[in-house]
Amino acid sequence: MTDPKQRITEAEAIEQAKQGDEAAFELLYQLHKRRVYSLCLRMVSNPAQAEDLAQEAFLQLFRKIGTFRGESAFSTWLHRMTVNVVLMQLRKKGLPVVSLEETLESEDETPRKEFGTRDVRLTGSIDRLQLQRAIDKLPPGYRTVFVLHDVEGFEHNEIAELVGCSIGNSKSQLHKARLKLRDYLKFMRAEKAKTG
Amino acid sequence: MASLLKANLRQADRQTAVVTLVLATCLASAAFAETKAETRKEYRFTVGRNAIISVDTQFGAISVKPGSADEVVVVATLKSNNVEVDQEQTGNRVEIASHLLEGADQQAGRVDYELLIPPDATLNLHSSSGPLLAEHLQGDLTLEGADAVVNIRNVQNCHVHVRTMGGPITLTDVANGHIEVASISGDVRMKSVTGTLVQVVSGRGKIFYDGDFGSGGDYRFTTHTGDIEAIVPADVSADFRAHSVIGRVRHDFPLQPQHSRFPVEAGRSFLGTSGKASSKVVLRSFSGKIRLKQR
Amino acid sequence: MTCSEVERVLPEFLDRAPDDSFPDAVHQAEFETHVKSCLACADLVADLKLISSAARQMVESEEPAPRVWVRIAAELRAEGIIRDPVPTPARPALVPTAPRRRWSAVWLAPVAAALLAAGAYVVSHKPAAQVVTQQVSPVQVSPVQVAPVQVAPLQEATPGGAASPVTGANVVTPAPETAHAQRSEARNSSVRPNQTKPANPEVAAAHAVAPSPSVEDQQFLSVVSTLAPSVRATYESQLQAVNADIRETQAYVNRNPRDADARQHLMDAYQEKALLYQIAMDRIQ
Repeated sequence: MTDPKQRITEAEAIEQAKQGDEAAFELLYQLHKRRVYSLCLRMVSNPAQAEDLAQEAFLQLFRKIGTFRGESAFSTWLHRMTVNVVLMQLRKKGLPVVSLEETLESEDETPRKEFGTRDVRLTGSIDRLQLQRAIDKLPPGYRTVFVLHDVEGFEHNEIAELVGCSIGNSKSQLHKARLKLRDYLKFMRAEKAKTG
Repeated sequence: MASLLKANLRQADRQTAVVTLVLATCLASAAFAETKAETRKEYRFTVGRNAIISVDTQFGAISVKPGSADEVVVVATLKSNNVEVDQEQTGNRVEIASHLLEGADQQAGRVDYELLIPPDATLNLHSSSGPLLAEHLQGDLTLEGADAVVNIRNVQNCHVHVRTMGGPITLTDVANGHIEVASISGDVRMKSVTGTLVQVVSGRGKIFYDGDFGSGGDYRFTTHTGDIEAIVPADVSADFRAHSVIGRVRHDFPLQPQHSRFPVEAGRSFLGTSGKASSKVVLRSFSGKIRLKQR
Repeated sequence: MTCSEVERVLPEFLDRAPDDSFPDAVHQAEFETHVKSCLACADLVADLKLISSAARQMVESEEPAPRVWVRIAAELRAEGIIRDPVPTPARPALVPTAPRRRWSAVWLAPVAAALLAAGAYVVSHKPAAQVVTQQVSPVQVSPVQVAPVQVAPLQEATPGGAASPVTGANVVTPAPETAHAQRSEARNSSVRPNQTKPANPEVAAAHAVAPSPSVEDQQFLSVVSTLAPSVRATYESQLQAVNADIRETQAYVNRNPRDADARQHLMDAYQEKALLYQIAMDRIQ
């Protein structure tokens, strides 16, 4: 009988999961569920859909767990699989994964201030819920790159490979996403200040 | 002299060997024939109206079609001599059963039945392996098989009860029936099936319905993990209620919303009416997907 | 450097990788000089850095509903990726066992009826945690000792009372099941990475009860093996399937006791099992 106080590592859980052990699968799920679900939710802004995508990501991973040899971190493997699942879903729905603009100097509907005039800075910390609402308002293409880079920590070369765009495009999308978020957040703060 | 004797002895040995061989072959063939002979037997029973016919076989197919109004004809094909057919008639009740003898396995114990029965007769069929087929009948039907494939076609105005463990069930052109189907893991497919009550339960199997939910009936499809899919014409007239506890639910055409005291959680349930709501349709699953489509 | 030039090169400066050659030292110096002197650009840079840093805090902030795991587990089980472990051999009996007898299938009928009654009892009463520990042997729940009373007369060697454990597997008392559940719960807790309780203790407990078939199920399979060995594999796989459905639904109901539909599905799952017993009765008597 196993000592109740004995813990098993993620690597041990993976090996037990390969044998079909349900508790091991559940452990792996519990360890990574927040990361996977949060990523899905950020990218699709819909909790029911995010649940389905998280479920699909875990299922795809668990189906292939027999092939995991530990060459990379399990979380990295899961992370990339989740992104692929979400992107595939966005493509299926015909939503733009990333815009086709290549450079900064394209038309952009983001209301930009006049150069030389001072705008009010976003001071202090940013309320998480407000930021989430602002992210939800982003166009899908901007949202994808912003979530992958600033939230999830992918590099531009990785994003370019995942979404099928150039590194330059990824950088420009990210910049535009941040500019838009800045404007949304300022607007929200101004509205909040009005209502007190 | 000695050499002649030796030659005679060698010849006798050869003859003995040949005779022995022939005898052994004959015996072996007889034994083989004894166990492997396929036999066809025919039974006829004279019956009155509302006869009750039961056929019970562990292994083997049963096929039932309509015949004359006062006679039951049973043709049994026995796959070996390790099985026999018991048959009994008591008044209007006819009972046929396969009786396995020593050494009968699934192959040797198989008996296939073909029946012609009065169209309004009540029919009870049991076969573990099946398949079971009943068509063009108007009497009550009870079909049960473990893994048997069950097929019911062109029956009307009758009660239909089907139970399987894993055997798939197909109902086609069943009109105005009272239908109860239960399977633990078999798929259930229905095409043009209507009735006052159509109740289908499959734990793990899928339920597929292609029809108009007509006859002003009560349709209840329930699964545990199996998906439920219904395809209906544009002029379907029914109240629809669908709910999956943890699976996804959707309808592909607009329904007029209904008021309900039960919460309707988008993506997990829907409640609505199409047409004049003549029939009531309830689709329930624990974790299967439910989809209502229009042709 | 002008404001428009700053804005053009801003992404390169904000997200510069360690091995990036651009911006070089000259451009870096020009950029910093301009930002120090231009309040608008300074605000812009500060805001974008703040947004980026706030975003990093969001990486694991959301928790999915428990049903996500339930659905994943159900699918894995349906695909055979989650597999029940091979039942451990029965413990050696502490009292002499009766010689093996041929069982009659007569007891299947009351067991099937008791399953239905147990299902109705569970559905009509709000489930509490203790139901989970009895879930493996639902007959033991309320109409209770029907099965053991029926079974006992067939065990001629049973000394006196019906409930005495004669064979290696205990017939009636919940205690072994509870103890088993506790051991399994302890085993489950050993795979948790920390000392806190599992996020879904009911699921863990329900799954912990799963591995060993109940006494009734063992007897059922034993009868099938004796009287219809050619179909034992079929019955066994169907029994595993319905037991898995019962466990899964029970776990969900435990977490969501007010979900009337889920409770009805639990009743349906018990009816599935009763159907299996009934089909067996019809075939092997």
